[in-house]
Amino acid sequence: MSMIPTPVIADNNPYRARYLANQKMKPRNAFERVAWQFMRYSGLALVFLALSHWGLQHLINSVHDLTLDATISRWGIAGQTATLEIWFWRAYYAVLLGLAMMHGLNGLRQVLYDYFHYRPLYWGFMVLSTVLIVFVSVAGLAVLLLGVNAAATGAAVVR
Amino acid sequence: MGTLLTILRESLRYKGREAQWLWLFHRVSGLGILFYLLIHVFDMSLAYFNVPIHEEMIALFKTPLFSVLELAMAALLIYHAVNGVRVAILDLRPELWVHQQKVTRLSLMVTAILTAPTVVIMLIYTFNANFGHVATAITH
Repeated sequence: MSMIPTPVIADNNPYRARYLANQKMKPRNAFERVAWQFMRYSGLALVFLALSHWGLQHLINSVHDLTLDATISRWGIAGQTATLEIWFWRAYYAVLLGLAMMHGLNGLRQVLYDYFHYRPLYWGFMVLSTVLIVFVSVAGLAVLLLGVNAAATGAAVVR
Repeated sequence: MGTLLTILRESLRYKGREAQWLWLFHRVSGLGILFYLLIHVFDMSLAYFNVPIHEEMIALFKTPLFSVLELAMAALLIYHAVNGVRVAILDLRPELWVHQQKVTRLSLMVTAILTAPTVVIMLIYTFNANFGHVATAITH
């Protein structure tokens, strides 16, 4: 039989008592668990969303074909009623935008947490980058929902 | 600055071998993609808020310098996607951990296999956009 003696966990073991006390006192860190799961599942979703967007814009089409008209055909013109097709593109880009920004913000949080051990510096960078990312995301969502501002081009085309 | 050098040196010296380097490059590529994402979404949002600057930025993205950056972006994105699938699947299915070493190399191979044709296709587009008139002049 086994030569290794089995450790006896006595009820009066002070370490075990402290461990059990900690278990009761500390709430389980739900945020980190949810963030960990979110990174995996949003990452898998983004493989399809981001790579399909990349393939569409850089392999099937190319950046050299990108015109304002091409953008209008997907996002519509501000002030005009959007077709079902335009709403499909808007939804696709909104999901891609939201997931990518949240995935990126959490990834940045992990990197900053690892390398900025001086917590005020970590929090400073976190607040700055969160404000920046939220600002850019809201601007991106706005253009998706409103459409291209064709009136500002000077040559407004009615489609 | 000294801290930054320590981070870089220790990240490379840590004897995690291939998996460690993939982890490091996953971080670097992720930060690069986030940086690009912010510029890209800001630029596209100007299609509502300031169309002339939006069009100027799009014109800038068509210049040869940005075509080179675009190739780098493609490689970063494909690597981050392929390696991310590896991380996600292994993390969510612990019974697959016995295959870690094989899958590590597989992720690099799949990245190379997907990146090579992408780079070729994008180079053809860039060539046509910059020198297309030369090729047309020769063939006609």
